[in-house]
Amino acid sequence: MNSDRGSTQISRSHLITSILLPRRLLGRLYLFGALVALEYVYCFSGRGNFPGHLKILGVNTDLYGQIPLFAYVVFLGFGRSRWRPQKEEIPFGRILFGVHVLCMAAVLSITVATQKGLGWLLFDTFSYTKSALYLLGTVLLALACVPPRSWVQAIRSTGLLWLYSSLAGVAGWYLGSSVKLLWTATSNAQSGTMQSGTLYAVKAILSVFLSDVVIDPASFTVGTARYPITIAAGCSGVEGLGLVLLFTSVWLWYYRKEYRFPQSLLLVPCALGCIWLLNILRLCALILIMNARGSDLAGLGFHAVAGWISFTIVALAFSLATQKISWIRKSPVAVSCAAGPSHSDGVEINPGTSAELREYHRESPAIRAYLIPFLAILAAAFVSKAASGSFEWLYALRFFAAAIALWYFGPKLKELDWRFGWFGPVAGVAVFLVWMAPVWFQHQPAASPLGQALAELSPTARWTWIAFRVAAAVITVPIAEELAFRGYLARRFVSREFDAVSFSGLTLLSICLSSSVFGLEHMKNLIDWQHLLLGTLAGLAFAAALRWRGRVGDAVAAHAVSNLLLAVWVLGFGDWAQW
Amino acid sequence: MKSFLKYSFGLLGIMLGTCAPAHALMFRFSPEVDPSLAISALTLLAGSLAVLGVRRGK
Repeated sequence: MNSDRGSTQISRSHLITSILLPRRLLGRLYLFGALVALEYVYCFSGRGNFPGHLKILGVNTDLYGQIPLFAYVVFLGFGRSRWRPQKEEIPFGRILFGVHVLCMAAVLSITVATQKGLGWLLFDTFSYTKSALYLLGTVLLALACVPPRSWVQAIRSTGLLWLYSSLAGVAGWYLGSSVKLLWTATSNAQSGTMQSGTLYAVKAILSVFLSDVVIDPASFTVGTARYPITIAAGCSGVEGLGLVLLFTSVWLWYYRKEYRFPQSLLLVPCALGCIWLLNILRLCALILIMNARGSDLAGLGFHAVAGWISFTIVALAFSLATQKISWIRKSPVAVSCAAGPSHSDGVEINPGTSAELREYHRESPAIRAYLIPFLAILAAAFVSKAASGSFEWLYALRFFAAAIALWYFGPKLKELDWRFGWFGPVAGVAVFLVWMAPVWFQHQPAASPLGQALAELSPTARWTWIAFRVAAAVITVPIAEELAFRGYLARRFVSREFDAVSFSGLTLLSICLSSSVFGLEHMKNLIDWQHLLLGTLAGLAFAAALRWRGRVGDAVAAHAVSNLLLAVWVLGFGDWAQW
Repeated sequence: MKSFLKYSFGLLGIMLGTCAPAHALMFRFSPEVDPSLAISALTLLAGSLAVLGVRRGK
């Protein structure tokens, strides 16, 4: 009897871990890397120089974090083709994982307590304690994800890769430190290179439009006598270059079997040149806008948004170029020969059918109707913010962009079941109550400049803006977000052919993953745990409404009701910070 | 040689590329590094790439 109960418990726990966790070696190695990265970012980012604060063997630097990180990425990148064929399932060490969580909780507690001003925790004893706990926790996590026998197997099967990876880790740390010199303001010969280059390029372009351009190379200042700007290290373009370099490298790496090398590498400097030029144009436009409008606030939104618009444009142009330029793409036969016979859903695909294989790996055309309304809102938000100062007066653009997209895809979307029952609105009320719970515990509304900005408008302009804000929150945003997050993303986590998955067929994992992404969308900064959690809970509730009777109408009704109640709260109590 | 070039470039690009935004995120140099803007921009980019990568016809 007891034995049966024990075996039932074991099989149930095994079932849970097998559903939620990867079962094979490669997946577990990915899991270990992802968990370490997640803990690094969300537990310690912004909480002091951790793990740079680690003190081991009397040395207190950040190399303990960077070298293993680079080394592990290289180890995974080069070793994964060796580990992929291994189909043996490996166990997950739940007890080891539990002890790991306790170690990390202790490390986090010490870090937070130190930040709260408990000076006695700064003694070396506690630094060493923290370092030891962190290292112990990481080792336990490694052993929980991958048993020792499998680690030995992974290392042995890749020869000296562990050594090359370690050397690459040291090289990566050294190069990373060197790159910082490009924008740090020190007396080093390389310092300020980016700022100087940008400074003179901005001056050259501005001179075409303005006669009174002033420049001060010592302080990296350029502009007009009325509105000079200082080109800070971050505005020099190095961040854009870094992002584009990262994007292009990952893109070429991921699709390496489809492109010709070294021809395709030529696109990288082209993309870097474009982002560099666009950053210079951004600074010129900023000065021209401020000079024309006579206000520092006029360029505030443009300054913040234009960089991201530039990056998005360059990244999209790069991906299009790699697909359209035949000189860069391999012929279909060459692709299939490089890849060898392929297997897809258990069916062997011969080299002759590589074009079909490539088509198979593309997204379903139905994605357009589900994603474009949401993307239209995001794109309109960028344009609207770029044209605004501290107040987004063009908010109505978001409403119209989504409305036009929904109207365009109306015939396709009419095929969905838009009816809703009682569960949708009830879920919406529940989401609103949970969302507002933290506000009720705070006895006074958070400060927001929105109320003041609206008060300065004429009554007609004020109520027009509010009408579009409410209409967007209650009509277009719920429809567009439910189509994107539940209609597409949640089903996409189930199958590539997402439109063949019924709404009732969503799995627990797909709901949790799509809800987490929905929560991420609501974060206001990297450690905004509150909105991450609330957004994730809201996503879970909307997904539950969707899955209840398999109707998108229930999820939209839930979303619309929660947004409507929020709008009533904001307008009724003047709590503008909630918008 | 081509393979070496391909992998070396990939690694170097990823390492250098990660350094700049990671450094910027840590030290919050400029308003472009507003994380909510970054999430929106990356979502817009990922969504646009997914839409651009649809199968031709069905």
